[in-house]
Amino acid sequence: MRQRLRDPVTGLLFVLPVLVLFLIFRIFPSLGAAGMSLTNWNIGGEWDFIGADNYTRLFDDVNFWLSLRVTLVYVAIYVPLTLLVALGTALLLNQVVFLRGLFRGMLFLPYVTSFVLAGIIWRWIYEFDGLINGLLAKADLGPVAFLEQTALVLPALAVVSVWKGFGYSMLILLAGLKSIPSSYLEAARVDGASAWQRFRRITLPLLKPTIFFVVVIETISAFQTFDTVYVMTGGGPVRATYTLIYGIYDHGFRSFDFGYAATWGMVLFAIVLVVSLVQRRFLDRGTT
Amino acid sequence: MTITASRPVAQVGAARVARRRWRRSRWPLAALLALLSVLTVSPFLAMFVVALSPAGRPTVPAQWPDSLTFDNIARVLSASGFATWTVNSLVYAVVSVVIILLTSSMAGYAFAKKRFPGREAMFWTFLATMMVPFQATLIPTFVLVNSLDGVDTFWGLIVPTLANSQAVFLMRQFILGLPDELFDAAKVDGASEWRVYWTIVVPLTRPILATLGVFVFLWHWNDFLWPLVVGQSDATRTLTVGLTTLRTEELQLSVLMASAAVSVVPCLLVFFLLQRYLVNSIAMTGLK
Repeated sequence: MRQRLRDPVTGLLFVLPVLVLFLIFRIFPSLGAAGMSLTNWNIGGEWDFIGADNYTRLFDDVNFWLSLRVTLVYVAIYVPLTLLVALGTALLLNQVVFLRGLFRGMLFLPYVTSFVLAGIIWRWIYEFDGLINGLLAKADLGPVAFLEQTALVLPALAVVSVWKGFGYSMLILLAGLKSIPSSYLEAARVDGASAWQRFRRITLPLLKPTIFFVVVIETISAFQTFDTVYVMTGGGPVRATYTLIYGIYDHGFRSFDFGYAATWGMVLFAIVLVVSLVQRRFLDRGTT
Repeated sequence: MTITASRPVAQVGAARVARRRWRRSRWPLAALLALLSVLTVSPFLAMFVVALSPAGRPTVPAQWPDSLTFDNIARVLSASGFATWTVNSLVYAVVSVVIILLTSSMAGYAFAKKRFPGREAMFWTFLATMMVPFQATLIPTFVLVNSLDGVDTFWGLIVPTLANSQAVFLMRQFILGLPDELFDAAKVDGASEWRVYWTIVVPLTRPILATLGVFVFLWHWNDFLWPLVVGQSDATRTLTVGLTTLRTEELQLSVLMASAAVSVVPCLLVFFLLQRYLVNSIAMTGLK
């Protein structure tokens, strides 16, 4: 009985460190972000409450709409591309027994490195005297200015992120594939179903929840793209890679316009919230 | 096994032939997988080749270096900034691993096995903060740390990143699965709560602590945005941020690639030592 009574205290003591960290560095700044977006806070630490002015400014800001478009186009390129690569390699890994561990390791390798490293290597790969243009020159082609052309730069950045990150989604999809009972596929093969039919009618429907999960997490991570932009293009050329996070960074740490930068942050929060809610909706439906 | 044995011999033989034929028909898939794996690691190989090439020569792919040298690596290692950044990154990653493992396993234990007022509300608040992307609260977190004079200090770099809801969630889920009887028995024996934590919780959660430790190390070693805004001088600048201050124009490509190559070594070590382990844990826990 005495032990029971001591529980409330010890329970609270054990959560206390995490509780304090969360209150100060997660919850307070989360509320602070909403509050700051209603002020004109700047580097001097001076601020006035300006109501919804930052939001009307945002609405009239050409750069904001441009940045939202850049981010959406990036998401539209990155997400299908990474899903395709991750699913393709997961299917291959699921089929091939020969040296499977080695190939899986090689495909997963870039995932453990940083986007900064990926950016540094690929900036050189894309350069005029870089790896790809060197190869193109041997074939008497090119050179192609991957990072200097507005039409090419977003796909070029998406390729870097796909290369760096697809290993994670590949492993999630591979686990999904492994959970499909092999008896279903065996039975279909005995009935004479082609490989494509087996994929279309059995694998794909059973893998749908996993694919949905991958799409959601990759969408959220694509909205948060910053490191590769910072390293490879600096938001250029002519703001063709000026993503939402780059906007937050630019307004916060180049113009020191903290209140307005927080407003940009609220937009990112709203987008991620909507994507997460959609995910919850679908996952709930999937389990019931 | 028994079913197979009771089947007529001819039928077993036919099945084996069919399986072998099927397996043989998959060698193009294996070749494709091998090609994709080599393509995936080729940017790393190219980086290492350039890093080991004599400076100032045309490099891959225009011309393979005719000799390899460790000069670039030596130059990088003896550059003063580089050594400091590496130590900073190590401190950032290792201190974070230790504190996050300790605080999140304590909180996970309390959330899973203790009753105290506000437990549910607190836990759900932690989960809710997962939906707020860090970048959305970047500005208020920076303003907070700045007002506490934490900019360009180690505590300012580390402490705000210690509130990790994923870690708390993961630990709670794992500890929920441990039988209550273990804890009851220890209490009957008169062990103190702290002793229960050290002698039961910590040893039994070792696998999940190790997994989480590896991920926290990689997250922090590869982290960029927060170290970029907080570490403003060499004293607190991490390796990822330091690398972006090296500009190709001032630096020979071979030296830049040598820096990148050296910075990736800890990740590669973690990867080669723990590959199987990392791969399985992603499939099971969905850590990203």
